[in-house]
Amino acid sequence: MSPFELDEPRTLRKAVALLDAGTACDEPVRAIAGGTALMLMMKAGVFEPARLVSLRRVEKRYAAVRVNREGALHIGAMATLSSLASSAAVKRAAPVITQTLRTLSNVRVRNVATLGGHLAHADPHMDLPPLLTALGAEVRTLSPAGERTLAVGDLYRGYFETVLADNELISEVTVPPLDGWRAAYLKVTTRAADDWPTLGIAVALQMTADTVAAARIVVSAATNTPLRLTAAEDVLRGATLDAATLARCGDAAASGVELAADAHGSSAYKRELLRVYVQRALRQIEKT
Amino acid sequence: MTISTAAVGRSIPRLEARAKVTGRAEYVHNLSVPGMLVAKVYRSTLAHARIRGIDVSAARALPGVHAVYTGEDIRRVIAEPYYGPAFHDQPILALDKVHYAGEPVAVVLAADAHVAEAATRLIEAQYDELPAVYDEVEAMTSKAVVHEVLKPAGTFADLKHLKDKRDTNIALDFHLRRGDVEQAFAAADHVFEHTFRTQQVLHVPLEAFATVAIPAGEHKTGTLTLHSSTQSPSFVRIEIARLFGWPENKVRVIVPYLGGGFGAKVYVKSEALAAACAMLARRPVKFACTMEEQFYMITKHATTLRIKSGVTRDGKITARECEVWWNGGAYADIGPRVTQKSGFTAAGPYEIDNVKIDSYALYTNLPAAGALRGFGIPQLVWAYESHTDMIARGINIDPLEIRRKNLLREGRPQATGTLMHDAALDLVLERLATRMQWSQPLDRGTETVRRGRGMAIGFKASISPTTSMAIVNINADGSCNLYSSTVDMGQGSDTAMAQMVSEVTGVPVEKITVVHPDTDVTPYDMATLGSRSTYHMGHAVKNAAEDARDKLFSLARELGLSAETTPIPDIFKKKYGMQAGNIVGVGSFIPPYISPDANGQTTDATPFWMIGATGAEVEVDTETGEFKVTRLVNLVDVGKAINPAIVETQISGATIMQLGFTLTEAMNFDAGQVTNASLADYKIPGIRDIPPAMENEAVDANQRSGPFGAKGVGESGTFGVSPAIANAIDDAVGVRLTSLPLTAEAVYRALRVKAGKPLIDN
Repeated sequence: MSPFELDEPRTLRKAVALLDAGTACDEPVRAIAGGTALMLMMKAGVFEPARLVSLRRVEKRYAAVRVNREGALHIGAMATLSSLASSAAVKRAAPVITQTLRTLSNVRVRNVATLGGHLAHADPHMDLPPLLTALGAEVRTLSPAGERTLAVGDLYRGYFETVLADNELISEVTVPPLDGWRAAYLKVTTRAADDWPTLGIAVALQMTADTVAAARIVVSAATNTPLRLTAAEDVLRGATLDAATLARCGDAAASGVELAADAHGSSAYKRELLRVYVQRALRQIEKT
Repeated sequence: MTISTAAVGRSIPRLEARAKVTGRAEYVHNLSVPGMLVAKVYRSTLAHARIRGIDVSAARALPGVHAVYTGEDIRRVIAEPYYGPAFHDQPILALDKVHYAGEPVAVVLAADAHVAEAATRLIEAQYDELPAVYDEVEAMTSKAVVHEVLKPAGTFADLKHLKDKRDTNIALDFHLRRGDVEQAFAAADHVFEHTFRTQQVLHVPLEAFATVAIPAGEHKTGTLTLHSSTQSPSFVRIEIARLFGWPENKVRVIVPYLGGGFGAKVYVKSEALAAACAMLARRPVKFACTMEEQFYMITKHATTLRIKSGVTRDGKITARECEVWWNGGAYADIGPRVTQKSGFTAAGPYEIDNVKIDSYALYTNLPAAGALRGFGIPQLVWAYESHTDMIARGINIDPLEIRRKNLLREGRPQATGTLMHDAALDLVLERLATRMQWSQPLDRGTETVRRGRGMAIGFKASISPTTSMAIVNINADGSCNLYSSTVDMGQGSDTAMAQMVSEVTGVPVEKITVVHPDTDVTPYDMATLGSRSTYHMGHAVKNAAEDARDKLFSLARELGLSAETTPIPDIFKKKYGMQAGNIVGVGSFIPPYISPDANGQTTDATPFWMIGATGAEVEVDTETGEFKVTRLVNLVDVGKAINPAIVETQISGATIMQLGFTLTEAMNFDAGQVTNASLADYKIPGIRDIPPAMENEAVDANQRSGPFGAKGVGESGTFGVSPAIANAIDDAVGVRLTSLPLTAEAVYRALRVKAGKPLIDN
């Protein structure tokens, strides 16, 4: 790894300004939060920054977790994944996030990786982007142009690519009140238990009695970005969760998507996994 | 002298445990010396190519770079810079050709590791690409030839006929003939033939290869000290001395603890490059691989195995023919020995009158393969024990019964003709059956989660003949030093050897220091490999301890003291008038061995047999092919355990390692280039991959020829794991996998084929 300058600004605004200054003069500059992904890229020589802007010392409120009066969950972008895993507020507002964190990467990574970094890295193998997409979550960002809010579902442009500008940082994530939504996330691994997902499958349903009022189904890991499976969602809308519906939903999910082959499995096999695991996610929701 | 309670057979805590868990244990990886330069390697990107030129000018010009060397520079200090235990085929840096993607082509030295690494990225090599061969079976006849001329090292008699042989990739062919297989096949009620494959994997010790080479004095008269993470300090000294044309005593090899070895760190690995660089630069040089670079150092052979058996109606195996092709990669390393020694037992632990074995070591354009925990045996057991169950199913006999019917018993001849002695195959098998409750029906699970169980048993001949030496030094205060070149790489040999010294001399274990290998201090040992130390070094240590004890006793008697009851310090005080002097005992050991004849026959193939068996229970998800190993039962024969607690950790460690090779580990290649050279993409088992139920047992046995009835244990736990799991999967869902690793996708595809609806790739 090559030497680099390290800034540790005390405010998020200052961090944005440093990124802006670096970007303006074409300096290889990058924000670093937990650094779990960035350090690997630097060790491999894939990325050689001249300057890193550490977010470690920015205002404490950017690591805060709270539930507001309406029941929305607000998470500061600098909250570590392990702090979310043990947060009573997260467990109350969105227990599916707590569940997901149990098998997300490993304890060493969770202890330093932050939610903002996890989302901004745009690695399609991350577990929370598909889940937060299914939950209808939003991110708030800060750049020299000011603040803006966008849906997590609109954050990703492509493989390791977001719509964020080089001088724009995620400051907060908001998960809306559940309001009758129920959700599940299944991380499917096909090699060792501690591994990147072969598929990430997030499902959220809003039920009216026994009938599905609204559904969001998202697949990740074998796609360039988290992907809504709208054909599968259409099967569920207005239906009850009987075995035939589940099977039709699984088939719709499996037929509507291109899944990349890699060391985790072939494209054809991943399609079969998707068919089965979408149904398992739905059954898990039914049980909760 | 007071005799303490028996030391052998007790689960004494490891001597080094406290130093390791408090971070005080020394490793070469952490070593730094004044004036030291760091070496970083530029590697080839092609699998087989002629080198047209190497441009190092930009790297040399980078500020902070001390030197950049290529293969031609190495020749300035070593005229023939080729090394290897079986063949002198491996250049320190590539000369003329590169033979695999990842081969060292140039090296940068700098005081700052970051500078050295950055400089390697400025090097450019031009190549003329050559046709390459990757598959071991294709290598038998391929037009692509990895080495134009074979250069056997001369140390192994059975390689001499390969000297100067041209245009072949075969680095050894071993043949065993016993009885007449053709006739027996013709007479058999059933003949079964299957082909199996194993994948290329690697050792992944947590401490990667590391050497610090320190030159002293002038080139012609000076010395070279190597601090190295090696399992074979004596071999390294001899081989490095040979390269420089020096006597042995000019090279000193010092080995602290190792962070794992598993056969990776035997023979010369990081040492030759560090040594050559140190001699060229006349400065201390450290060459420490990264975790990722391990993928280009040494691996375990991928194999293709064809096995054919003739069987009677009631399950007696009458004939067996085995063909084994070992994918040795670009350099032979110890592969030819793997090919031969494992060839002895390729037909399995069964009494078969007619046996034909052909085993081939092959060069290919892949990273080299060598020894890895089992020395080829896990690959063979994978084939013959999968085959055993396929036969059992084919003739509708219980898997336990067919094994009972054919198992080699005490005093019966094995395929080499050597009679089996102290090989508790039957006891291991019976204990396995009991623990598995084999006679009881198994809960078969639900429609979508099917349960099954399987078993497998294998055995191994020790590498022979090999030599160990030891020195036991009793100090005047009654404390004791053991000088031995056995390397404690985590297997607990320090503790076991100290227990043996204690048992003989009566000196308590806590008063014994095991001096770590230092070739200026500790005597010769062949290497720490092949589960040989407990037996071979054990004998040498026992002999040395007995020698010291006998000398002490005769000194006491000379002085008119009671040998048995006088405290040791009093003996010394009476002799030397104060706390002074030493008693030095020496011991050596080499077992008897008779080389096999042209038909692979010998009456003495091995000093001892290692036995290992595993039983597995699995749950298979029929909707996805995913499966869980819910229980692993591991049985071994280690003779009498010197330290039962350490024996158990050796069994479980070996089993878990083989579990990785069975389920999750595989080196993936694209045009010879490893595509998953990192621990993120090469998956070794983690704690959550360990079966919820794991049981390990060393059966009540005795190796009569062993020190205190003991023999080796490091590898036995690996033998049965892979086939036991494949057999259990077949038992659960009726599909048979014949290639490792056993993946969920492979199970799923086999289930679809069985259902008549094969999965179509698009």
